[in-house]
Amino acid sequence: MILEVLNVTKTFPLGAERVVALQDVTLFLAPQDFATVIGSNGAGKTTLLNVIAGACRPDRGRVKLAGRDVTHWPAHRRSFLIGRVFQDPLQGTAAHMTVAENLALAVKKGPRSLSFLLTARRRRFLAETVGALEMGLEKRLSERVAYLSGGERQALTVLMAIVTRPKLLLLDEHTAALDPANAEKVLAITERLVAEHGITTLMVTHRMDQALSVGNRLVMMHKGRIVLDLEGEEKRKLRVEDLVGLFRKIGVADDALLLGSGGNGAMAEEAKKLAHLL
Amino acid sequence: MLILHAAEQGLIYGLMALGVYLSFRVLSFPDLSVDGTFPLGAAVAGILILQGTNPFLAALAGGGVGLLAGAFTGLLATRLRIPGLLAGVLTMIMLYSLNIRIMGRPNLSLLGRPSALVQLSQALGVPRAYENFVAAGIFCLAAFLLIFLFLHTELGGALRAVGQNPQLVRSLGMNPDNLLILGLALSNGLVGFSGALAAQYSGFADVGMGVGTIIAGLASVIVGEILLRPRSLFFAVFAAIFGSCVYRLAISLALRYGAALGFTASDLRLLTALVVLGALAAPTIRAALKGETS
Ligand SMILES: Nc1ncnc2c1ncn2[C@@H]1O[C@H](COP(=O)(O)OP(=O)(O)OP(=O)(O)O)[C@@H](O)[C@H]1O
Ligand SMILES: [Mg+2]
Repeated sequence: MILEVLNVTKTFPLGAERVVALQDVTLFLAPQDFATVIGSNGAGKTTLLNVIAGACRPDRGRVKLAGRDVTHWPAHRRSFLIGRVFQDPLQGTAAHMTVAENLALAVKKGPRSLSFLLTARRRRFLAETVGALEMGLEKRLSERVAYLSGGERQALTVLMAIVTRPKLLLLDEHTAALDPANAEKVLAITERLVAEHGITTLMVTHRMDQALSVGNRLVMMHKGRIVLDLEGEEKRKLRVEDLVGLFRKIGVADDALLLGSGGNGAMAEEAKKLAHLL
Repeated sequence: MLILHAAEQGLIYGLMALGVYLSFRVLSFPDLSVDGTFPLGAAVAGILILQGTNPFLAALAGGGVGLLAGAFTGLLATRLRIPGLLAGVLTMIMLYSLNIRIMGRPNLSLLGRPSALVQLSQALGVPRAYENFVAAGIFCLAAFLLIFLFLHTELGGALRAVGQNPQLVRSLGMNPDNLLILGLALSNGLVGFSGALAAQYSGFADVGMGVGTIIAGLASVIVGEILLRPRSLFFAVFAAIFGSCVYRLAISLALRYGAALGFTASDLRLLTALVVLGALAAPTIRAALKGETS
């Protein structure tokens, strides 16, 4: 297994109470799995990625990467194994450094030396690497990233996250802030690079069609739990209407919850039953 | 004469401005410890010179203790999670007492003592009137080149990235905290070195000589940026030194001719702060004006 999330629970303080962001979540990703993750707002998708990346510690449970227990590793140490792209294109690059400088920083992980960041040889290598995006960025190596469009910037971020061939790639709605044309482009680039390098990937998306068409697995979260985890043939048979129906069913359960009956566990059961019916 | 003196001071304080550029612009960390590390460098260099140490070594020692003090501020801000401004203030306050302990009294006179500036120029055969200017220029040029080259290394690049996006640096397998500590150490090392040279230049070290260092440094950085509008790193680094020279010239002119307009030396800090305030507020004011008209 590349990724093992074992019985992870994560809560956040909210006034005197605590919000449960993740409730006893277990998830395995095999090598070269590409799993999409969907779920309503506040379902815990980002928190799950944060726990995996080390941005926050789980209250309970363990996280293993490529067989190593990384539960107590700080984020910067885990990043040797993980590439991550956020929704906001501004989050993945240094705005006032050039395309070449950003990429040059990303071609290795860990502490830095006093050798020059950009040498003629490095520059040629970077031009070649960024050329793989087919966006013409190889001609704009000396431009500041701040001057790139959101799509170009996010494509560069994906490349930077992948260039060291991490074991695991985490994508958190990484095309959501882009216009439809750019979103398509960045998603296509992501799929191509992931396939080329065979990188295990976990992609959060709010677009059901994307969740269905991309990858070999689909994970659905609700209220801090994984309520659906489909793979291969099962996933391929799934259609948008099925997912909408599932969401609606959960929505009904939600109303019931508001009225004071039922619970998270019951709801998860409900969804599981539904999944089997599909 | 006025211009020469202003240039001498501009170059000596330009080293300090370079340090402030590193913390304020490169790291995006407004570091107030410079108000303490500037006189710290002066105090250490001063006491060493009085004890007969070579003035070059004394200046380097001033830079060295600045380095340590900067790292201390970095440790407070990262390991102990103290907010940046407060971490700087704490270091500054501690250094106030420490500087008096180092000197044994609130000030030292270095008149007639050897100065690294003078010795360097004499070794090069520079005419007497230009000794301080040429030597300060050499020190400044060396610091400029070192910083400029450093910012183009992998480590320097990481330092620039940490000021813009610490999250990115973390995702590249580096600890942003360590980089911040390193950056603050370098910054205050320059400030300490600047203080050590300032003491040798002016012939005294005084515990009060650091008051307003941060404001003078910020004013230099900002004035340089406004006048040069740097697009490249080369000019961005150069702008700090250039701004420092312009700032010192403006102060000299204000002191010389300001009396006619009714203000005195004690008004300088107010004026400097207003310049910095205006420059920092300009984008907000401009945006507000635009918002109203459109
Ligand atoms: N740092 C935090 N502090 C307090 N509460 C948090 C924090 N992070 C997340 N939460 C809470 O945990 C729950 C899960 O949030 P999370 O961001 O993981 O949801 P999500 O599935 O990513 O939602 P979205 O689709 O809106 O991005 C929410 O109730 C949220 O308010
Ligand atoms: Mg989210």
